[in-house]
Amino acid sequence: MSTKLRVRLCAALALAVVLLALLSPWLTPYDPNAQDMAAALQPPSADHWLGTDSHGRDVLSRVIAGARTSVFSALILVAASAVSGSVIGIACGWFGGWLDTLLLRLGDLFLAFPGMVLALAVAGLLGGGMGNAILAIALVSWPKYARLARSQTLTVRSAPYLTAARMAGNGPARLMARHILPNIAGSLLVTASLDIGTMLMELAGLSFLNLGAQPPTAEWGSMMSKGRSLIQTAPWTILGPGLAIFLTVLIFNLLGDSLRDHLDPRRRARKKEQTS
Amino acid sequence: MKCSKAIPAALLLALTLTACGSNAGTTEQTAGETVFRYGTVAYGPEMANAGLNPHEAYSGWSAVRYGVGETLFRLSETMELEPWLAESWEWVDDTTLSITLRDGVTFSSGRALDGQAVKECLDHLVAVHDRAPGDLNIDAIEADGQTVTITCNAPNPALPNYLSDPYGAIIDMDYGTDGVDETRNVAGTGPFVAYEVADDHIYLNKNETYWGGTPQVDRVEVRSITDGDTLTMALQAGQLDAVQGLPYASLELFADENQYTISSADTSRVFFGAYNYETEALQDIRVRQAIAMAIDKDSFTEVLLHSNGTPAVGPFSFDTDGVTAPAYDPDAARSLLAEAGWTDSDGDGYVDQDGQPLTIRWLTYPGRQELPLLAEAAQATLQEVGIQVEINSTANHLGVLESGDWDVYVSAFVAAPTGDPAYFFTTHCLDSSAKNRGGYHSDELEAQAAQLAGTFDPAERAALGTAMSQTILDDCGYFFASYLRMNFVMNNRVTGFTAHPSDYYEITAQLSVGQ
Repeated sequence: MSTKLRVRLCAALALAVVLLALLSPWLTPYDPNAQDMAAALQPPSADHWLGTDSHGRDVLSRVIAGARTSVFSALILVAASAVSGSVIGIACGWFGGWLDTLLLRLGDLFLAFPGMVLALAVAGLLGGGMGNAILAIALVSWPKYARLARSQTLTVRSAPYLTAARMAGNGPARLMARHILPNIAGSLLVTASLDIGTMLMELAGLSFLNLGAQPPTAEWGSMMSKGRSLIQTAPWTILGPGLAIFLTVLIFNLLGDSLRDHLDPRRRARKKEQTS
Repeated sequence: MKCSKAIPAALLLALTLTACGSNAGTTEQTAGETVFRYGTVAYGPEMANAGLNPHEAYSGWSAVRYGVGETLFRLSETMELEPWLAESWEWVDDTTLSITLRDGVTFSSGRALDGQAVKECLDHLVAVHDRAPGDLNIDAIEADGQTVTITCNAPNPALPNYLSDPYGAIIDMDYGTDGVDETRNVAGTGPFVAYEVADDHIYLNKNETYWGGTPQVDRVEVRSITDGDTLTMALQAGQLDAVQGLPYASLELFADENQYTISSADTSRVFFGAYNYETEALQDIRVRQAIAMAIDKDSFTEVLLHSNGTPAVGPFSFDTDGVTAPAYDPDAARSLLAEAGWTDSDGDGYVDQDGQPLTIRWLTYPGRQELPLLAEAAQATLQEVGIQVEINSTANHLGVLESGDWDVYVSAFVAAPTGDPAYFFTTHCLDSSAKNRGGYHSDELEAQAAQLAGTFDPAERAALGTAMSQTILDDCGYFFASYLRMNFVMNNRVTGFTAHPSDYYEITAQLSVGQ
């Protein structure tokens, strides 16, 4: 399968996930938060395709509703980390000097700790909630983008087209936004798309530890956490959210891989050589 | 060929690693030695009972539960008081209790138990403990040979009951510094002697000189495993011989009587909620009544506890017929809120007043796995009547309590561990109560408590206890959700390990582990 087709297929699947998340309030067969104790822990059936949980809530409805929390939170997190990291990285690469040293050392400080452990500490300090979980992981995720953007900026900094743009009277802000960013966006995009799956799992991890989504919000990680004591007696309570995490992470990882292959200039050059 | 050799090797490695993993955290068992490996969710800092020092918070529970400490009196299967380290006792007058100690008892340090040892221990207890001074109200203790005479500042008919509380476990105060050595160990009189004490485990050897007969087991390993699923799998894998605190949903996994035994006891442990009276909305009795009426205790007990408990009325499981409490009635709850001026003016599903929604910060902790389930169930039923609930289920619940960032604190508490009704009220509901963190006050209850303090007749005390329960229920001062049944699950090699209604006699000299 050609990389272009793979990119399109993966993008379509990713779009389907995003659409599912977007339209989830209209797609759930039941109110995801409505408890029906009389129907607690029912196995999958025609009425409840993925069964019900300990509070009698429809698992399928909660998985669909959880898509909104889990996927959007991951997208917001990746966007926040990528944008903030890229801005810092480009500024460091362009201006250099004390700004470069200061921001890079700050990034090193965050990179010196194991990411998830630091995120756990920050989330623990801030308290539960998806907002705090996003903030906690964003705090430890931006340096990766900053380093990437900085190194890419240093590569293109002395390129002739930038010298020309500078001589044409463009200021630093315009140079960075109009000339540097478009030229380094490919690698940032690939990194970001590969990160979506990882971030989704990290957020689910925090929720699993009760540091992310709070009840009654449906979120895949917290659903798995609540269902884990039922893994032997009512496995369907974790099967739904578990599969949802697995498939979503797989789709976004495949998208990232395909994008990387598609945007890799060496690969494209090799392909051109082969065809010529 | 290479492949055919590599696969068995890889499998062997995997098996080896798995075996290593499965042994992680356990200690070597020497030939002929009988070891009892016990996992529990009820030990550790979250429960405020880490360590064995009975003079520290709830650590006395650990001392008594794990066979290190013994009290002067103990409770029978029917929760009646009987002598333990005491041989007999008599009231000299309303304020003076004379106790004759059992002969032939020695501490694990070698010191003989006598009146002086008991005096030293109790003197230190009332000097440092948070609850004991108020409960015991001791003016002076005199020791004479095997006799101890305790004089109280005022009549204290529940004194023998309070002395059966695990904080009254008698330890040798000459041992270490103030009875505790640098390894957090104590010298008690029980059938087991600790040799390693930590926040997550206690290891014990049998007490060869135990006065009550030779313990059947050589060594006991108590492990704090707060995750119910880990506990479940550890028992299934044979890493543990017995467990306490399995998720109720897991009990059906151990229904095979050929492999496992389940010992159950209805305890006086109650899931209940205390209000923070600093919160303005909760100062209105109608709001508190609405909250009580919006909690579906029957569903919680039947579905989420898998019928391992009974819906609660008041604080005492043995006194459900004598008291009445608001029943689950969402319509009546809505009416009460409307009467109190809480209506849904903006149509968002939540009642509000002056533009502020009625939001309850529900504080609980995950150490008791059913508490977060109760929180989520109540969140849904309270939402039905228009009350928004923000759940904070955290192991740091004591810190949050201190900070005051809570409106309702829901916990599990053994309401009558001493077999006497005074305990719950003196610990939670009076102005002087150490656990009255929400600032509850009732003039009527204070007067009844004063009356109870001077009442010696058990029947009269029981009647007063019922009246006091009704007072706090009429006041909607607290709400009570469910009484709990405790379960020990053990493999069939274990005998002599029985759940007790008091919730604190676990490891005894009768415990035995077959081959």
